[in-house]
Amino acid sequence: MTNTDRWTLDMDAGPIYVQIGVRVKEQLARGDLVPGEKLPSARDLAALLSVNPNTVAHAYERLEADGVIETKRGLGTFIREDAPVAGTKKETLDAAARRFVNDTRRLGVSLEEAVSALKEVWNAGQS
Amino acid sequence: MLASLDHVTKRYVKADGVLDLTLGFPAGEVVGVLGLNGSGKSTLLKLIAGLLTPTDGTVRVFGERPRQSRSKLVFLGEQDALWNWMTPKDAEKFMTGVYEDFDAKRFQELLEVLDVPRRKTKAMSKGERGRLRLAMSLSRDSKLYLLDEPLAGIDLISREKILSSLVREWHTDETILLSTHEVAEAEGLFERVLLMKAGRVALDAKAEGLRDEGKSVVDAFREVLA
Repeated sequence: MTNTDRWTLDMDAGPIYVQIGVRVKEQLARGDLVPGEKLPSARDLAALLSVNPNTVAHAYERLEADGVIETKRGLGTFIREDAPVAGTKKETLDAAARRFVNDTRRLGVSLEEAVSALKEVWNAGQS
Repeated sequence: MLASLDHVTKRYVKADGVLDLTLGFPAGEVVGVLGLNGSGKSTLLKLIAGLLTPTDGTVRVFGERPRQSRSKLVFLGEQDALWNWMTPKDAEKFMTGVYEDFDAKRFQELLEVLDVPRRKTKAMSKGERGRLRLAMSLSRDSKLYLLDEPLAGIDLISREKILSSLVREWHTDETILLSTHEVAEAEGLFERVLLMKAGRVALDAKAEGLRDEGKSVVDAFREVLA
């Protein structure tokens, strides 16, 4: 996975600052980012993503308010040692579930059919 | 306001440039000036730069007439006016001679970052020349940068390098007006977008506000032009 893949943005999928927040939480949920780890500076991440530095700063402010990251003066921005890893995992799982449900509901299938398809694909992926 | 237009109209002999524009640009805003060819983007930037005089209305830049502020603002035009014999070193001498606010050290750094070869411009690709011209412009210390189509007609890698340099070099108290039709590539950079259509502003909006409504700037662009 390249560095940019972890941060994929979709200009059609709502405000960029929200998406950056979601990407950080996803990486934390997956273990691609761990508590105590340093995040790129707002300027560096903005340059990587070709977005306005203020937008990244806005995303970081929100993550700080959510207790996910902290800014240490002169040192940079870090994932908090007590970051809610389990909470972000749940949040990320719920979001994935919502996407699955939205897609399958549009097909007009029942929950049982959707779940059985999910299990099938899940098990196929295990082998 | 760093720059403002009050009921500004610019008519050309054969066509309308811009019609009755009233706009303000505060300090610290990155603005995308978007629209098709002939929509008035260049005319708008040139009016602010003092390179065109309005037929009607008033333009103010740093509280003065644009002509008086010309040495204080940066204008990067579509025309590639580099002399063929020029090397980046010559460009540096030229800029140092003309502009008091030119920072030669910053220029050298930008040549590195933008990967500009140290040969004569005659032997450079279009993208390399575009990157050199941007390095020259961004090496000046100004509060107002007017960049007219810096991404037009150059390769993808050059466009990416230019965008990431803009992100790195921009200070939060500086205002950039950048015109482009590469909307999708550049839209993340803009806080505010002006969509021009037939000499008027068809939409003046915050980019994140549009996205909050589920639209990309590209979507808004399509809607306005449809």
